[in-house]
Amino acid sequence: MYTPYDWQQNLTHRSQYVEHRIASGSPVVGISCPKGVILATTRTTARKIFEIYDRLIFGGIGSQADLETLRISATDFAHSEGFTRSEDDVTVQRVVGFALSPALKRAFADPMTTPFVAKALFAEIGDKQADDKFYVLNCEGEYHAHEGHAIIAGSAAAEEAADAVLAKRDKGKSLEHAAASALIAWGAAKHAQEELRDYSDEDEALKRLNQELEGASVEIGWLERETQRQSKFSLWPAERIDAAVKMLK
Amino acid sequence: MKGDFLELLKNQGAWREPVTGTVTSPPIETHGTTVLALRYKDGVLNLGDRRATAANAIMFDRAEKIMPLDDFTLVAIAGAYAKAIEVVRYLRHAFKYFARTQLQEISLEGKLQEVSRALAGNLEMAMQGIGLFVPLISAWDQKDGAAKIYFYDGMGARFESSEFGAAGSGSERIRGVFNYIERTKGPFADRSLKEVLQEGLYLLDIASDLDSATGGYNKILPTAMTVSSDGVREISEEQLRTAIEGVKN
Repeated sequence: MYTPYDWQQNLTHRSQYVEHRIASGSPVVGISCPKGVILATTRTTARKIFEIYDRLIFGGIGSQADLETLRISATDFAHSEGFTRSEDDVTVQRVVGFALSPALKRAFADPMTTPFVAKALFAEIGDKQADDKFYVLNCEGEYHAHEGHAIIAGSAAAEEAADAVLAKRDKGKSLEHAAASALIAWGAAKHAQEELRDYSDEDEALKRLNQELEGASVEIGWLERETQRQSKFSLWPAERIDAAVKMLK
Repeated sequence: MKGDFLELLKNQGAWREPVTGTVTSPPIETHGTTVLALRYKDGVLNLGDRRATAANAIMFDRAEKIMPLDDFTLVAIAGAYAKAIEVVRYLRHAFKYFARTQLQEISLEGKLQEVSRALAGNLEMAMQGIGLFVPLISAWDQKDGAAKIYFYDGMGARFESSEFGAAGSGSERIRGVFNYIERTKGPFADRSLKEVLQEGLYLLDIASDLDSATGGYNKILPTAMTVSSDGVREISEEQLRTAIEGVKN
């Protein structure tokens, strides 16, 4: 017999299962600045930051297959809506709140399916910096809106550590400054998630970032506010990333 | 997951199938008129008047008939305006959808094939005189590092032109002028943008003298865009006014 106790236990186990699986993931840091919105992380092989629609980008931590499912679902919804209605009607709030969140909730609550091992960060660029938005979506379908910056990491303590670092740094000086801030926040989050405590010391964060870069590379994707190109999205080339990394040394 | 936008729309019930059957009395459609594509030494210039007509009525004098499909592809449309705009919206989404889902740009051949497919999809109605339009595609081929011009018939057959292309009611009237310019002044592809822009304005002016559905440039400035290795660029109002002064003098 399936009792209320089993049901509660099942949800707890599923939540712990996902937390355990994403605990060692590479954090993703998003920052809004006057020239645009950037998402920064590290990778070994597979790409981590993707364009979803004209004004939307996405990065995540967790199972590659589950992140891919989220990415494709978001892309399908955005393009179908953008074509049948208008590009302006495709917003991060609609993509996350209506297209993805209920589906994640259903998967999480169904004891006969595997929950999504994923935590996602979506960013939307506005016409003005004040209109930029970040949405963090977790495996249970819960989502939260953020302004200015947002972080997803393997633990709440890691996200808090990165948040504390970003709160102290100047993110608006230049795009390279914003990227450098995102990377140092990445280092703080990664360090804190391994130490299992809040750790917002910048020296330790930089040390952890440099250690990561011995076997991995930085990936930065961004949406450019003012551009002559048809697409606002691009991945930063290696030289531009190097310039941002050098600012930290 | 093939990155096929048409399949996505059909799966989501968002695709409006073309109307089929026999039409006894075709409606009077709004038509876009004369558009030109001319090679110049760095790329392709597209030029179009702004007139849209329905039978002998001028429906609109500020119609946009030259539009970017992506950063390296321009389309110039002539014929049934409603169908053409719908297809342009479809193509823009289809190219982006492929790139975003497959994580690689769609090839030029893939883009051209998608244009043929869109035209062939409306064949039954087009044969009865409804929704018939012909696009001119101008592209920078990143693989070959070369500018290309393609024109189509209403059934979707594609033809490549090395020097120029034209579509719309005024284009037939001035067909011989293209050859005259090419024979007397040399290939368009060897000449500067400034020279070719002036030739294009002469051509548009002659078309408006000979075809009542072509608006010319005297009342409303035409649309002018280029595609080259730098991507799609709009010719500014100032540049156009200077070129028009040169033609008048």
